[in-house]
Amino acid sequence: MTEREILDDLQQIIGHVLDKSDLCIDGNTTASDVDGWNSLTNMQIISDTESHFKIKFKLREIIKLKNVGDFCKIIQDKLDSK
Amino acid sequence: MTERGRSAFFIQGVYYSYDDLMKCVSKIRQTVHRIPDNNITLIANDDLETYASIVAIWLEGKCYVPIHPLQPLERCLDIITQVGTSYVLDSSDETRYSDYHVISTKHLLFTDYDIDFEKGCSDEELAYILFTSGSTGKPKGVKISRGNLAAFITAFNAFDYQLDENDRCLQMFDLTFDLSVMSYLLPLLSGACAYTISSSKIKYQAAFELLDEQQISFAVMVPSVVHYLQPYMDEINLPSLRYSLFAGEALPLDLVDLWSQCAPNSIIVNGYGPTECTILCTACIYDVTGGNKSVNGTMSIGKPMLGTEVMIVDDNCEKLPNRKKGELCLSSIQLTSGYWNNSSRDAESFFVFENKRYYKTGDLCSIDEDGDIMYYGRKDSQIKIQGFRVELSEIEFIARRFYSHNNAVVAMPVYDDKNNCTIQLVVEKAGRDDADALIAYLKKYLPSYMIPARTYFMSSFPMNVNNKMDRKKIKSLISSKN
Repeated sequence: MTEREILDDLQQIIGHVLDKSDLCIDGNTTASDVDGWNSLTNMQIISDTESHFKIKFKLREIIKLKNVGDFCKIIQDKLDSK
Repeated sequence: MTERGRSAFFIQGVYYSYDDLMKCVSKIRQTVHRIPDNNITLIANDDLETYASIVAIWLEGKCYVPIHPLQPLERCLDIITQVGTSYVLDSSDETRYSDYHVISTKHLLFTDYDIDFEKGCSDEELAYILFTSGSTGKPKGVKISRGNLAAFITAFNAFDYQLDENDRCLQMFDLTFDLSVMSYLLPLLSGACAYTISSSKIKYQAAFELLDEQQISFAVMVPSVVHYLQPYMDEINLPSLRYSLFAGEALPLDLVDLWSQCAPNSIIVNGYGPTECTILCTACIYDVTGGNKSVNGTMSIGKPMLGTEVMIVDDNCEKLPNRKKGELCLSSIQLTSGYWNNSSRDAESFFVFENKRYYKTGDLCSIDEDGDIMYYGRKDSQIKIQGFRVELSEIEFIARRFYSHNNAVVAMPVYDDKNNCTIQLVVEKAGRDDADALIAYLKKYLPSYMIPARTYFMSSFPMNVNNKMDRKKIKSLISSKN
């Protein structure tokens, strides 16, 4: 998958969890930029992302994610190493 | 290392020494000294200036009223109006309070140390006023005096753990939440270092990052943090953690069993206390060998701490015997003298029994033959979301106001299979054309944790046999739609 395709899928996943069909994110977006992206919804986003891409994140990987761009990159790395 | 060279704070990745803190306190104190008002609003940012402002305000014998930097302006202005001050201490780059006397604490200059506490203070003078969710649509202020706070410190020190200057302490709470007070004050009183988390962070991740990388030794947390970390328990090993105290929400015993494996060298404590009784007033130490008391999976909140007495009453405020379930009432030197300018609320919440003043907590509890208190949940419409007190009736009030009080609304907590709570709002109205406008209106007046995750519209609400709105039926109808 390309980075763009991963970003599009993530946008759908996050939009679904946050109940925002018109959500628009890019690589620089952070959780604090998006209304409703909090501890609870973050857990759901991580879990839905794992199911969607059939990958698993480690806690120490998650805490290092600073923005959506980092999120896309780690998904890409995991897909590449499958 | 000299005492002044020791670290007092670790804020957003930067260490600040006690000397840095004292310089910052000194420069702010000079300005606070000239403020005529006794109660001063403080924008609760995550920076040295904000913590130094608290110390400066206290050294000047005054009281701070924290205002959340991210909460809706309308709500914050309501608090400032209620307090009746025109002074705001604000370390933000751009203030939202230009109509007030704003002291931009970041731009003050240090000239000389000014940290002596010469002015005497009585126990009755206020230390802070915290505003919590109020059922009438307006936040209500809880006044905590210096005597209340000193009594809490004495009770905590008498309990089971003494911090020292080598402790590394987690401060994960917004300053508008009273658990923040023990999380910054206990380290400062011991010469230890407080590691803070900004309110804009995903708290459970930021908490784990600090616990793990900074080898935190003393942590006060809401149970939600561990709940969210639950899927990763096999990755967590915190041998440096010597003390973990949970408070702010019901604590599931099975969660503590898991946490005790992650933090094998830690004393684990379940603490309990409403804001009105100054942070914590009962506590229970977890026994790693087992035999911990619980009801419905919730760990006991233990026994009263030093200076607190408890009793259970029925709906007529009659004292109940051991093992009978009723409302928990507290009498304590930690107990607030009352709400800020709210005598009707005082009359509802406080009463005198056998010459002692008691507070009705609204929590359903029982006391067993050993004196241990078992916690069952809330009596009223108040719930806790990530430790924040939420009056569902406050959400309903604001939503009804959106509809000019012409439509009925119900706010209800909905729990998923992992016991995560979200608020869902149901409006008695055909068509959801104004759903977005309703949410935008709620966001103007309510903090983010009170904003409903979903809204539903019903042309008419089901009624029960008493012709009252049937909340249970409404809940089952929306559950079927989830």
